[in-house]
Amino acid sequence: MVANTKEVKAKDMCVKRSSPEEKRELSFKDEICVGCGICEQICPVEAIELGDIGAIVRTGAEVPKISIDENKCVLCGMCSVGCPADALEFKLDDISIKEMDEYPSLIKSAEIDDDTCIYCKACETACPREAITIARSLPDRSKLVTGEIEIDKNTCISCGVCEEMCPADAIVMEHHEPTSVDPTVSSDIYVDKDKCVYCLICRKSCPVDAIKAVCRSCSYGDYDLKPEDSEIEGSSFIDDESCINCGWCKEICPVDAAEVKKPFKGELSIDQDKCTTCGACVDICPCDVLSFPKPAESGQIPEKVFKDERFCIYCGACGKVCPVEAIDVKRTDVNYTPTKSKSWKNKMESLKS
Amino acid sequence: MELKVNQDNCLGCGVCVVACPVNVSISPEVAGGHGSKTTETIMMVENGVIKLFSEDKCTKCGTCQKFCPTDAIWLE
Repeated sequence: MVANTKEVKAKDMCVKRSSPEEKRELSFKDEICVGCGICEQICPVEAIELGDIGAIVRTGAEVPKISIDENKCVLCGMCSVGCPADALEFKLDDISIKEMDEYPSLIKSAEIDDDTCIYCKACETACPREAITIARSLPDRSKLVTGEIEIDKNTCISCGVCEEMCPADAIVMEHHEPTSVDPTVSSDIYVDKDKCVYCLICRKSCPVDAIKAVCRSCSYGDYDLKPEDSEIEGSSFIDDESCINCGWCKEICPVDAAEVKKPFKGELSIDQDKCTTCGACVDICPCDVLSFPKPAESGQIPEKVFKDERFCIYCGACGKVCPVEAIDVKRTDVNYTPTKSKSWKNKMESLKS
Repeated sequence: MELKVNQDNCLGCGVCVVACPVNVSISPEVAGGHGSKTTETIMMVENGVIKLFSEDKCTKCGTCQKFCPTDAIWLE
């Protein structure tokens, strides 16, 4: 008889079975797991158990978020298909079943269109999973403004006012300490024309009018500036492993460059009377849907827990962690690719509540 | 995981009793900082130290551990 084996590496694990005909392998990555418990719900043989997820996430306990009983596991792969975070991966002969047309898979994605993206980094800042990296190169500042500047070194009294006032740090002086041999403070002064923005503050602040400067951009408008010189170039990157398809990037993007497809539709309801504001749901939500509101003015009592369902993926982790059953997560729709297998279809449908 | 206490570390401050979301739903007066009127709550301060009464009701949310200033109550 061929038995399953389990390999445990820190908090990750892998259940395997090899026969001459086929190699089946289920792997779990704890770091990616959001603790929603969908795997426990979808497993047909009750081989998966969700851990005490509140305590694990909030106290940093060194235990995995789920346990897989290798003696019960039949290596069917259903858990991997239901997992909205892709923390479970099931492979047949080293190929993931998510890449096989015969098996259903959750329809979910997040993309940023680089042609539309203006590289403002709003999505990178907002992403609750730190899955987005925006790399950008800014235009050359010297090409965005033109002008002329000249310092009459004979008039200059080396007071250093212009150097101190220059907002672009374009004026540098080499200060000379007076000695009995050379009892002057005459210092050398330089203007770095790549840094100068021709704001004319130096000219206006010079006590002896030693600086002549003019801004061409002000006089001639944008006449001698090339539009291509002001372009910001960049690229966006979404780490699929960390991305949970919550939609923060899509909602926060000012130019609609991000597109997100969510695996589930549903409804999240919070019973504000039952809630005791312990914060377990806020801590566990992988999508930053929940937060504690601050009163707009003193004396006002806001809701205990605030939700913004635009970012919810209806994974149900908050509902499972709530110690007083104040949260109800309903899944009304499951988005998955078609399959001919009736039992798999039934299982996918069973994720609806 | 199991709820554990170390009475030697306990200051008897009662923060865990008040913070525990399950305690409040069993005995609402603890939310106001009063002692529980029933031993049905998960934990209470007795003779100046914490004592577990109905630990079977614990949902292991970790709130008590987060608030305890002396690591006298934890999940293991």
